[in-house]
Amino acid sequence: MDPSIATYPDFPWLTLLLVLPLAGALLCWLHRHRPEECRWYALAATLAVFVLSVWIFVVMPQEGVRWFLYEDAAWIDRFGIRYTLGLDGLSLLMIALAAFLQVIAVLISWPVKKHVPLFFILILLMETGVLGVFLALDLVLFYVFWEVMLIPMFLLIGIWGCERRIYAAIKFFLYTLAGSLLMLLGIMALYWIHGEQTGVYTFALSALRQTELSSTASFWLYGSFMIAFIIKVPLFPFHTWLPDAHAEAPTAGSLDLTGLLLKTGAYAMLRFGFTLFPEMAQKSLPLLATLALIGLYHAAWVSYLQKDAKRLVAYSSISHLGLVIVGFAAWNVTALEGSILLMVAHGISTGAMFVLIAMLEARTTTRNLDELGGLWHCAPVLSAFLLLFAMASLGLPGFGNFTGEILVLIGAFKSHPLWAVLAMAGVVFSAAYMLRMVRRTIWGPSGKLAICHDLTIREYLVLVPMAIILIWIGLYPATFLEPLHETAVYLLNDPVAVKLAGGGR
Amino acid sequence: MNYVDLLALLPVLILALGSVVILMVGAWYRHWRNLLLGGIGIALLAALTAAFCPPPVVEVANLYSAGPYARFFTMIWSLLVALVLLLSLRYGKERRFDGGVYAALILFSAVGMSLLSAATSLIGVFLGLEAYTLVLYILIVFDRESTAGAEAGLKYLVMGAVATGFMAFGIALIYVGAGTFHLPEAFTAAMVDGHLRPYTLLGWAMLLVAIGFKISLVPFHLWTPDVYQGAPAPVGGLLATGSKGAVVAAFAALYFGSGSAGTEIETLLWMLSAVTMLVGTFNALVQRNLKRLLAFSSVVHMGYLLIAFLAGGPEGFSSIVFYLVVYTAATLGCFAVIASFSNADSEPQDEKDLQGLGYRYAFRGALLSVFLISLAGLPPTAGFIGKFGIFAAAIKHDQLVLALIGVFASLVSVYYYLRVVIVMYLADVDPKHALHPGCRSEYLVLFFCLIAVLLLGIYPGPLLDLTTLLVK
Repeated sequence: MDPSIATYPDFPWLTLLLVLPLAGALLCWLHRHRPEECRWYALAATLAVFVLSVWIFVVMPQEGVRWFLYEDAAWIDRFGIRYTLGLDGLSLLMIALAAFLQVIAVLISWPVKKHVPLFFILILLMETGVLGVFLALDLVLFYVFWEVMLIPMFLLIGIWGCERRIYAAIKFFLYTLAGSLLMLLGIMALYWIHGEQTGVYTFALSALRQTELSSTASFWLYGSFMIAFIIKVPLFPFHTWLPDAHAEAPTAGSLDLTGLLLKTGAYAMLRFGFTLFPEMAQKSLPLLATLALIGLYHAAWVSYLQKDAKRLVAYSSISHLGLVIVGFAAWNVTALEGSILLMVAHGISTGAMFVLIAMLEARTTTRNLDELGGLWHCAPVLSAFLLLFAMASLGLPGFGNFTGEILVLIGAFKSHPLWAVLAMAGVVFSAAYMLRMVRRTIWGPSGKLAICHDLTIREYLVLVPMAIILIWIGLYPATFLEPLHETAVYLLNDPVAVKLAGGGR
Repeated sequence: MNYVDLLALLPVLILALGSVVILMVGAWYRHWRNLLLGGIGIALLAALTAAFCPPPVVEVANLYSAGPYARFFTMIWSLLVALVLLLSLRYGKERRFDGGVYAALILFSAVGMSLLSAATSLIGVFLGLEAYTLVLYILIVFDRESTAGAEAGLKYLVMGAVATGFMAFGIALIYVGAGTFHLPEAFTAAMVDGHLRPYTLLGWAMLLVAIGFKISLVPFHLWTPDVYQGAPAPVGGLLATGSKGAVVAAFAALYFGSGSAGTEIETLLWMLSAVTMLVGTFNALVQRNLKRLLAFSSVVHMGYLLIAFLAGGPEGFSSIVFYLVVYTAATLGCFAVIASFSNADSEPQDEKDLQGLGYRYAFRGALLSVFLISLAGLPPTAGFIGKFGIFAAAIKHDQLVLALIGVFASLVSVYYYLRVVIVMYLADVDPKHALHPGCRSEYLVLFFCLIAVLLLGIYPGPLLDLTTLLVK
């Protein structure tokens, strides 16, 4: 066995992580005639995954080890496809985020009335897909999980969405599928090229990254991978599916989209795009940064003009993801750590915004900023939470987003001061649209109000943990940065990449 | 022909003799259920013989092979007709089909398909093809109450007759060039300086036209939607899977066995493949009837298969075999769902019949979704592995343009397959329509298809290895 792999207990923990949601889904299916029970099964399954991931988070990270956990088994020998899962610092954070947000997603979906068993089955299936994406180290396995995420999300938007749900669901599906099919062709081409060079036909990431590619080949292959990831992130100009999908999706769907699906795109860039094609990646960084900055400004601007609170937050999501990509493009450890931290913080803060908007909508029957207002009088605690998460979102010090942003900016300033300055100015915009939204909802003359009550216990259960984690990241980011550091160094200081960057920064 | 030859042909003989016995018995003993169960038993016996009874010789009478490739397809088609008979248990009873005739004909179609897949001579190809085409002429119009069935039968008959004409003439021309019917000599003997003689080339092209009619390649596909729509659902399942699969299997053996003769028609195949995928896809987009949709879907799938022909090599050949199995399981599953919902006087196939179906009939709704997702080629279903094999072979052998067209067609195909899922789950429930709750035999068929689709998607290793062995 590879010495860089930890040999902690010889139990397939990662497979267990993937199987738990499936087991929950199966239970829901078996008890589909008793919808109330399904909610509990779903909660139990997501909680189990969460507990397991926290346990892994606490126990597993070790010094000087590339993979904290690693599993490998033959799957389809004929094509050299293997079942390879690996957990390093990057996957660890993403897994923890996914597990946490899925518990929240089940909790906020408690009031769902329509087709309850199916709803929770889909949430759980998606969890398996997302976790699989964060763990897979074989390109075909990765692709399988990447697609497995799609159909549950498609149905979540399509069945439980709002008025234009079918349009939004299909748009989401076709956009992402177009990207991933191109990626599939790229994967196959890489497979044959590698096989012809070495005689070993494999889809393993560790082997394929050593493929020697001509510059034309690597251009096209890198392109085919990156288009898929860029659509998922999404970067300008492939972002137009996102506002529609968000606006029409049910709350749990929005939460998963923003917290998990968008992160898979950014994660895959780091894990696959940059790793497989280091030379092309270096060349493409300015382009990525440019797209990210255009997206950052464009989305912020559009966000400022939205009347629908949910669309506003959706656009803000694109804007923030732009900053994450700027952090990637800066290509140093500080910025990368900042980006990853920002991904986690953004998943939670923006997820919380969607949750709050859903709570608002339940009380006022509208998301239109023109019809809202004066919420503080009837629901002060809810308003306070809204204010808190809005502040977190716009990057107030003390919250996780600020920590991430400042690291990204510091890192970017080191390598490309101009990007940092532009990104910094863009962050100011987020204050503008967030404050506008808060002002229109919490303060001002009283708007439409159907029922007026403050938070219920279930809603406290959802919001308080989110706030705690966000403040934790803000005040003591070391908890999350420590397991990440070595991985970040490794992701950047690839032997190949170091050589290119002139000895490493 | 001697004892050894008979032993080599045993599975096919079991099917043929069984078919005759059931026909005879059916003339006096009119118990529908027992006759069909007898047919199922015979088909299963044939499948078992094909799988476990090694043939003493590999070729019979210079007409048919008894090798692993032929035996494999004999087994698959026997299983297929067993499933089709199982699926017809209630469907045919409610429509007062004649048990003896029906079971005998279905069994005999398996004889034809098995012989066709096993043919090592152009005469063998012709005999096998005609054997089951004749049977299908009758089976399509088996429901005498149905006017759509009569129309479908007539269409299939006319088109089938034209195709037969092309095939016979094509074979004759090839014979003129080579002086033999036996494969691959019929082609290799006609080579001059690495090229086929003009006569033989013309014959090859006419053969291709006949094949194009049978597996509905564009522009020979026009009969497909009407025939599928009019035929009884179980027969439709047979038409869409076995009747095409057997032709593809025979064509693959011919194409890959005849050496460089295949390269002579590469350009033609390339165009057929591209046009088939594109035209099939765009036609499928506008269908609002599930059976017609499946018809155009089968057209597109045949286009994908042609990519593997052009890719060539052992990768291409084995991916064809694998894809056929996967496509058969998923398509039969779709037709089985339709059959299981049918009442005595109607089959639900229009979009409005399917509205909200996913909630009223959760199990079969979910199953139909899985089959359609497999046809669309999304993981973790078998359809993904099948397409993966084809596209991987295509990229290896530099068929990049076709692979891109294929990817484009797959992308669009997801839209029209998911449309059905959308109608089942996303539209509001319409409680007016009462569909049949389904019976045990139908669930058994569905379950079998589901297992095949999921198992081959998650653990395809054994079958992939087997297909690699078969094409050696």
